[in-house]
Amino acid sequence: MRLRKDFLVISIMCALLSFFLIKAFNIQKYGYDIGTSTSINKIQELTAQLKTLESSKEQLLERLQNLESQISRYENMIAENIYMGEEVQKQLFEARVLAGLTDIHGPGVEIVLNDRKKDNIMPDEMFSITDFIVHDSDLLEVVNELKAAGAEAIGINGVRILGNSRISCGGPTINVGKDQRFAPPFIIHAIGDPDALAGYFQRSDSIYHILTFYGLEFSIKKLDNVNIPRYYGEVSFNYAKPVKEDE
Amino acid sequence: MSRKLRAQIAVSLVSLILGLALAAQFKNVQKVGGSVSLQRTQELTRQVQKLEQENEALESQIREYERRISEFENAAKDEGQSNKLIYEELERIRMLAGLVEMQGPGVVVTVNVKYVSEWGEDAIIQNVRYDDLLKLVNELNAAGAEAVAVNGERIIATTEIRNAGDYIVINTNRYSAPFEIKAVGNPETLEAALKLLGGVADDLGAYLHISIRRDDNIRIPRYSGTLQYKFARPLQENKS
Repeated sequence: MRLRKDFLVISIMCALLSFFLIKAFNIQKYGYDIGTSTSINKIQELTAQLKTLESSKEQLLERLQNLESQISRYENMIAENIYMGEEVQKQLFEARVLAGLTDIHGPGVEIVLNDRKKDNIMPDEMFSITDFIVHDSDLLEVVNELKAAGAEAIGINGVRILGNSRISCGGPTINVGKDQRFAPPFIIHAIGDPDALAGYFQRSDSIYHILTFYGLEFSIKKLDNVNIPRYYGEVSFNYAKPVKEDE
Repeated sequence: MSRKLRAQIAVSLVSLILGLALAAQFKNVQKVGGSVSLQRTQELTRQVQKLEQENEALESQIREYERRISEFENAAKDEGQSNKLIYEELERIRMLAGLVEMQGPGVVVTVNVKYVSEWGEDAIIQNVRYDDLLKLVNELNAAGAEAVAVNGERIIATTEIRNAGDYIVINTNRYSAPFEIKAVGNPETLEAALKLLGGVADDLGAYLHISIRRDDNIRIPRYSGTLQYKFARPLQENKS
C-alpha cells in the first residue's frame, strides 16, 4: 500500500518533468527563430545602410548649400547691375519665404498622432481595427484645422506643406507632399499663435474628439520655438502659365 | 536505509524539475528579447525609408539648382538675358506662392446639392460639407494640379476649407453651394483621378451632384488676401 503511494508520487513528478522538458524545448526553438537568425543579421545590415544614407545625406546637403550660395552670388551680381536691384532682391527673398522655400521658425505647436497601442485594445471591443489607426483623411483634417486656426507654416515629419501638397493613402503608409511616404507616428509642426492653434482642437466638431474617442494618441504641445524646414524638391509648371497683364 | 534513499530521490527529482522550470523561464526572457529586436528592425527599416526619401528630394533639388546655375552661366555674356533670368525667377516663385494669376488646360468641377423627390416635394439629401471639398482638392493635388481655386479662392499653403455654421470658409471668406473647383494641370490625369472607380466622384456622387468638365483654357485668380507672417520668421537672414 505504502509502496504504491510512492509510485504515484514519482509518476506525477515524471509527468511534470516531461511536461516542462517539452515546454522548455518548444520555447527554445521559438526564441531561436525570431531572436537570433533574423534580427541580428538584419539589424546589422540596416544599421550599415542607415550609416551610408546618413553620410550621403550630409554630402547632399553640403552640395546643396554650395549651389545655393553660387546662385545667390549670381543673383547679387545681376542685381548690382540693374535698376532697383536691391528692391528686386528683397522681393525675391520675400517671395521665397511665402512660397515655402526658406527654413522658418517661430512659436507654435507640436502634434503627435499615432495609432492606438495594441496592448490596450480589449478583445471584446465592438469596433474594427481600422478605427484605431491613423488614416490619410485624419491627417488631412488635422492639417486643415491647423490652417483654419491660423497656422502660417506646417510640416509633417519634416516635409513642408505647400498649397499643392497632397496627403493620400499608400497602403500601410501615408503619402505626404509630392512622393514622401510615412508610417505612424506622425509629428506635425505648425507655426502660429500657440494658444489659438491648440485651442482650435477644443471645438466640439474637431477631429481631436473623434480620434481620442477611439483611443488614438493625439498629443498637442505648445512650443516657444518650432523649426520647420523648407520645401525640398523640384517645382515646375508644365501646364499653368502666368496670365500677362497686356494680353 | 531504503526510506532515506527514497527521500533523496524525491528531493533530487523536485530540484530537477525546479531547474527545468527555471530554464524554461530563462528561455522566455530570451524570447522577449527576440520580439524587442523585431521592433528594432521595424524602426530601423522606417528610418532607412525616411532617409532614402529625404535624399531623393535633396537630389531633385540639386538637379534644379544645377539647371538654374547653367542658365545663369549661359546668360552671363548677355546682360539683358541675365537680367531677364532674375525677373523670371521672381515670377516663378510668386507663381508657386499663389501670387500670380494663372491660365492653362485643366478641369472644372462643379459641386452642388442633389435634389430628390420626397413626399411630392423636392428635398436635398445632404448639404455640401467642407470635407467633401477638402477631399476633391486633395485628390486634384495628388493628380498633379499646378494651380487650384475654389469659388475663385486660390488654394495656397495656408488655405483652410472649414465649416462655420451653414457656410464653408475658404481663405477666411464665406461660401455656400454651389461650388466650382478649377484646376490647371494635365486634363486627362485630373479627370481620371476624380472619376476613378470608387474614387472621390463616385463617393460624393452618392449624395451630391458632381460634374467634371475639361477645359483647354482655365483662368485661376491669384491669392487675393494679404500674405503676412505674424509669428513665423525665416531662419536665414536676407543677405542683401
